[in-house]
Amino acid sequence: MKAAQFEHHEPTTVDKAVSLLESLDSPTILAGGQSLVPMLRFRLARPDTVVDINGIDSLDYLREEDGYLKMGALARHADIEESDLIAEKYGSFADAAPLVADPQIRNRGTIVGSIAQADPKGDWGSVLIAHDGEVVARGPDGERTIPADELFLLPYDTSLGENELITEARVPIPNEREGSAYHKLKRKTGDYAMAGVGARLRFDDEGRIEEAGIGMTAVDITNARASDAEDRLEGERPSAELFEDAGELAAEQSNPESDEHGDASYKERMVDVLTQRALGDAAERAGVVKRRVTP
Amino acid sequence: MTDEREITLTVNGTEHTIEVEPRRLLVHAIREDLDLTGTHIGCDTGNCGACTVLRDGEPIKSCMMFATQADGSEILTVEGMEDLPEAGGDLHPLQEGFREEHGLQCGYCTPGMLMSGKAILDENPDPDEAEIREGISGNLCRCTGYQNIVSSIEYAADKLDEKAAADGGVVAESGESDTGAEPDTDANTDAARDSAAAFDCGVENCCGGPAADSTYEHIEGPDDRFDDLNGELDRDTTEETDE
Ligand SMILES: Cc1cc2nc3c(=O)[nH]c(=O)nc-3n(C[C@H](O)[C@H](O)[C@H](O)COP(=O)(O)OP(=O)(O)OC[C@H]3O[C@@H](n4cnc5c(N)ncnc54)[C@H](O)[C@@H]3O)c2cc1C
Ligand code: FES
Ligand code: FES
Repeated sequence: MKAAQFEHHEPTTVDKAVSLLESLDSPTILAGGQSLVPMLRFRLARPDTVVDINGIDSLDYLREEDGYLKMGALARHADIEESDLIAEKYGSFADAAPLVADPQIRNRGTIVGSIAQADPKGDWGSVLIAHDGEVVARGPDGERTIPADELFLLPYDTSLGENELITEARVPIPNEREGSAYHKLKRKTGDYAMAGVGARLRFDDEGRIEEAGIGMTAVDITNARASDAEDRLEGERPSAELFEDAGELAAEQSNPESDEHGDASYKERMVDVLTQRALGDAAERAGVVKRRVTP
Repeated sequence: MTDEREITLTVNGTEHTIEVEPRRLLVHAIREDLDLTGTHIGCDTGNCGACTVLRDGEPIKSCMMFATQADGSEILTVEGMEDLPEAGGDLHPLQEGFREEHGLQCGYCTPGMLMSGKAILDENPDPDEAEIREGISGNLCRCTGYQNIVSSIEYAADKLDEKAAADGGVVAESGESDTGAEPDTDANTDAARDSAAAFDCGVENCCGGPAADSTYEHIEGPDDRFDDLNGELDRDTTEETDE
């Protein structure tokens, strides 16, 4: 089916985009289009106007600044996948990027668009939660930041206002005793997750977990935080038993639904396993444990 | 509301100016307005990759982008393959590879596969099997089972490498048409023989899906790295960190 008729606007500045959003009838923002184009074509979305932000060059960035890794609204999945900075310091981002969709889609789709889409199966929302990240939104009343925990309300629904544009997603720069990872179970390459877990661990000088962040994909109505598992981890030294406990707590806090890929109890078990693996990688990347080498 | 927009697309080296509605998809502009029907439409939802084209050198799914968004860009479609310098006025080595290695049956996915194959080789002239499988992971084929498609792209990589060697170690760059390095017939015969040998499709990933990890990822144990470490960890976590 063709998309319904719409007007297409291509502002070149954020200010212009925001004023267009405010002045136009039922506008929709178009970023990479890798979720929106099919939605328009199935007429799940029928906006009168489409505000295409691809011409706003100032939104195309991926950099560390003021204590944050900042990802502009035009940073594509492929940009994250190819970034040396990400490969070096942001394990969970480096893990997740090549697991999002396929190469063609990663060339167009953006991390911010994916977060704005608020699909519970989206990978980036969980990574954002694990890193205690936030998004910066610009609207008619100016700029505000929305923490990851306050962003996702329902499937495909965020706390973003109608005329607000997310200009960037950002996460605090990790310190040298911090590591993160993302693990995803999928049926085949390119698929959405059956279950996914992003984990981040920060250690104190004594090798105790000072801060833990765990975000879960596709096992609740939104990307979700495994807060009980985080609480269990904080203040402890890493060990197999500790991570097993955390895996169990994450599984208990998850709410997967049975579908053609597996029943809920199977997915819960997978949350448990993926959590343990992600925590293991996070601890290893923080330099606190080493992978056991089988003789 | 018929808000037609004039856009310019340079497709396979030829500039076209067309009028399109904002809702017109790039794939429809290519197929219907420019009459280049080599680019296929399979799923229309971004899943199958039959509509893959290169836009400014980057593979994208042309059913996932509006034509207006491609205004001013350079598009390469399957029709342009033979005109590329490395084709030397004949079939492109990738096309030759698909013929030699039986990379197609019905051919529906083939244009998209060729474009993804081109993108893989543009980025890395010597890809390993996993890289090829990753590169075509956005392209579905319901006929061949991928193994022959992988072989076809490997064939092209070898062919391009041979040509580069024949050209004195330099891959033919766009602009100059490269007639000096036509594929020689001996090489073709060799390749045909090799491909006959390789045609025994006993490969584990055949028909399982395009990429190497295309079955359920094995979930065996959660993580064994702590099994032997536990006692140790309590003792010398900090030492390990400090080293
Ligand atoms: C075949 C296929 C497989 C996929 N697999 C995965 C997968 O495995 N994992 C995964 O996470 N995703 C997957 N996706 C989704 C993909 O990652 C999309 O790229 C992503 O969801 C949307 O990003 P986009 O930039 O394309 O956004 P768009 O499609 O342009 O927009 C999506 C939504 O976000 C809104 N929006 C976009 N940008 C902004 C902004 N700056 N401010 C406010 N609102 C905004 C739009 O209005 C729209 O409602 C898949 C998609 C396809 C087609
Ligand atoms: S038709 Fe475009 S991906 Fe299937
Ligand atoms: S050859 Fe038939 S779909 Fe690939």
